[in-house]
Amino acid sequence: MKSVFSILNPRYHTAEEKIDIPNRIQRGPTDILRALESTVKTDLTAAHYKYHDDPFLIPMSNVGKRTFAMAQESGRKAAHWVRAQHPELFQHNAADPPIQMFFPKIVYNKDGDISEDNLKAAIKAVLVNDAIEIYKLCKEKGVEISPETMISFLEALCYNNGDEPLPEEFIEERWFRQSTKGKEKKRKTWKDGALAEEIFISINNPDEIAYSALIQGMSKYYQSDRAWQLFQEAQEKGIALNIETYNSLIRVSNFLKENYDLRWTFIVDLLTLAAKAKLKPNLRTLNAVLESLSLMGTSKNTKNLTLQTLSEFKKIGVEPALSSWYYVLNTFCKERGPVSWVLEDILVEIENKEHKIQDLIDTFFFVTAMDVCRNHLHDKELAKRVNKLLHHGSNYDLIGDSFKESIYYRHYFILLCQTEPLDTFMEEIYFKLVPHIYVPEPSVMGEILDSIEINTAIEYVPRIWSDMTIFDHTDREKLISSILNIMVNNHPEDKPDLVEKFGIIAWDIFTKIENQNEHRTQPVMFTGVMLGNILTLLLRNQDFEKATEIVEKLDADHQKVVGVPGIEPLKMYLDYCIRENAPSKAIVCIQYCAESGFQEAENMAKRLHSEMTLDETHLEKLSKIVGNFFIEQSLKKNENTT
Amino acid sequence: MSVLARAFDKGFVRSIPKSVSFYSVNTERIQEEEFRVLNLKSTRSQNIHAKKKGYKQNVLPPRTAQMPVDQDWGSVWPGPRTFHPATVPLPIRQGYRDKGAAPDKYANAELMKIPNFLHLTPPVVKRQCEALKKFCTPWPKALDTDEKCEKHFPIEVTFSNYCHSSPTIRDPLARIVTLKIKLSTLKLDEHARDKFRRLVGDRYDEETDTFTIVTDRCPTKKQNYEYAMYLLTAVYHESWEVEPWEKLKSDADMEAYDWNNSKSKQTIEELFKKEAKDVDNINEYISAINSLMNKGETKDTIHNYGLAVRKLLNLPVEAT
Repeated sequence: MKSVFSILNPRYHTAEEKIDIPNRIQRGPTDILRALESTVKTDLTAAHYKYHDDPFLIPMSNVGKRTFAMAQESGRKAAHWVRAQHPELFQHNAADPPIQMFFPKIVYNKDGDISEDNLKAAIKAVLVNDAIEIYKLCKEKGVEISPETMISFLEALCYNNGDEPLPEEFIEERWFRQSTKGKEKKRKTWKDGALAEEIFISINNPDEIAYSALIQGMSKYYQSDRAWQLFQEAQEKGIALNIETYNSLIRVSNFLKENYDLRWTFIVDLLTLAAKAKLKPNLRTLNAVLESLSLMGTSKNTKNLTLQTLSEFKKIGVEPALSSWYYVLNTFCKERGPVSWVLEDILVEIENKEHKIQDLIDTFFFVTAMDVCRNHLHDKELAKRVNKLLHHGSNYDLIGDSFKESIYYRHYFILLCQTEPLDTFMEEIYFKLVPHIYVPEPSVMGEILDSIEINTAIEYVPRIWSDMTIFDHTDREKLISSILNIMVNNHPEDKPDLVEKFGIIAWDIFTKIENQNEHRTQPVMFTGVMLGNILTLLLRNQDFEKATEIVEKLDADHQKVVGVPGIEPLKMYLDYCIRENAPSKAIVCIQYCAESGFQEAENMAKRLHSEMTLDETHLEKLSKIVGNFFIEQSLKKNENTT
Repeated sequence: MSVLARAFDKGFVRSIPKSVSFYSVNTERIQEEEFRVLNLKSTRSQNIHAKKKGYKQNVLPPRTAQMPVDQDWGSVWPGPRTFHPATVPLPIRQGYRDKGAAPDKYANAELMKIPNFLHLTPPVVKRQCEALKKFCTPWPKALDTDEKCEKHFPIEVTFSNYCHSSPTIRDPLARIVTLKIKLSTLKLDEHARDKFRRLVGDRYDEETDTFTIVTDRCPTKKQNYEYAMYLLTAVYHESWEVEPWEKLKSDADMEAYDWNNSKSKQTIEELFKKEAKDVDNINEYISAINSLMNKGETKDTIHNYGLAVRKLLNLPVEAT
């Protein structure tokens, strides 16, 4: 630059004023994007961005959401498969700078060169299967592997139990996997005598890292007895293990000791040993102790111990994370135990803070807290506070997976549906969250319908029905009869538009059940009451034609339809028949009544006879149904007239 | 009774299709073993290929119906996107029909073809600028006018960055660097200035007094920038050099006619037998001949020249 200024005209670079040019503000590669993203808020009318924003392509039911997302994921997997099958097609380099993920997978075989670096790279990329392959090849070819690499290989094997973990890029699979990890039945899954143990044996004088890795691996996969043996072996040899090893052993204490007291002494012993080894306990130690305590029954002592543990760890500067509070909730709010309001105290601690994930179990907190709010305390204020915390900052990342999310919202919906005024619930919660954030399960729908019935809030029925059809709830007999009952029992006489809508809904229900797939395992069957209700609603909407179809259906499928409708709708239908001057239809109705064993059939026949002039054939039919006296009567009538 | 009926029904449905499929497989096999017959008058039996019932999908109403009037549009349409009728709550029409109104937004390809700026509404632009402010530094206070900017920073360098949605982040056009400088800001004397202009050729724009270098021969922007700087320096120093052959420059090589070095001056001095500057009316004559030679022969220049010569030689002015 100096040379450039020297060539400038002197009057141009005599800087009599000093010009301060500020330094550039340093920023990361995605900082601008994040800043722009911060201006965008959530749009409740939109589906998740992974779906196409088009009414035809937005999944609406829980099954649909899962199917759409997994279909995308399966496409991704197909692409991976093609790449694995035809690596020769992917030798070009489309990206600059090169993207490792685009390159075909490296295949290791006997012909190629193998070195320790390959093994290191595979371990770093958590490609466990590849690492095992490379290790075997190295052994065959006699390639020397340094002890450090062997140890890190052992660690990788122990951490994953010798299995390949799910690749990180399959986000949807993780999200939708019905993961009950942590809650599932704990059982031994450690592979005894597998490669990990072989390597451990092959190491001369295994050091503390090797011991720690193997003990942690064994206790992670619940091979607790052998983990404990190894621990004792290490103690005898005077090998100093790290704190994580102690944590993992505390975690499996309920496998090692049956009795609660013995178990607690065992934990205390382990902690004393750790203290002697001058190890500083961390969050995972706290979580391990709390987890063990949460499995120790409902006695008062357990709760006291939990509180003591918390305060003691606080003293040494270990702040509990959400996972710790999850265990505390588990300890205090047992299904059969006394009611505990510990959640309120916990919320005071964690409210209005942004929480970062520190433990896998952190994702269990919100769903459990909401469960406690609903089932244990039945307190809507607490539920709202929990919900507020969930939506604070980026706390929503801790919701876990789709399964936990929907359970969370299930509890939230049912609790608020039962406790909040229905209007508030619908306005504030239902209309906002359904269907894009949460699709109510049939049980939740049932609760909402119950609430509507109690509050006689029939104006919500059309919306609920349209949601039910969209969410595929139309195959639930209970829900359908419930919504029909609501519509029949609350006749909106003063609102003609609602009457019309109800009529349409009733017909919709009828056609839905009529046209359901014949190959369903459990098709919905019409019941007499159901058809009676549909008939009532159609007649209220003055839809005689469709009502006739219902009556014909009743008459034709007499054997299939379970039970009979009440007499009221049939009487109503008869009135309509008289009004519409349709004697043959009326006779069908009366015949059905008679066949179904209604006493009123005779009265109905009389009524029909008195209010309408019937011809010979009709009279004949009527007399077949209810007896001969009609003809006599009519004869009399005729005589009188003549 | 009812339960019985139901159970029977289920069993019935399950058992029938199996036996049917079993039969049909068998018959096919037998047919394969026989000669194949070319059936010219094939009549399709309609019972077997009964038309499948169309599956009617439940479709959500367009979400514009749910949108509140006071919603935050920037969150609904956060980025550039093709127009979508179910997301844009505006009754837009586009296109032409011979009769009737223009087609509405649903299934309207015209609306999808044109790029839209729905993601850049004024409030959104304002909001995004507000968010990006923290990455910006204030403008130097001393540089409050354009003249000062030009004075302190005479060199102007222009280049472009490109943003793609593709695996590669490179764009060949991003390497091009344009350097601009006003010639008056360079330290040049008469000769150097002349030589500089001859060296750069049409890269110099006389109207704005700007010299422009565009470099694109190197693969990266940095290299091209450095190359442009090198060129500027090189051409500058080269223009200060005086080569021996430059002395051979003759009148014909002069870029402009200069009367002081011309044959005309000599002739005048011979004619009047005194120094040219002492001749009466000489200045008028000089400017006239200069403009004639430099601007070319136009009606005006020739006329002026004629007048000047008559004045100089005391000839009578021709009546026009």
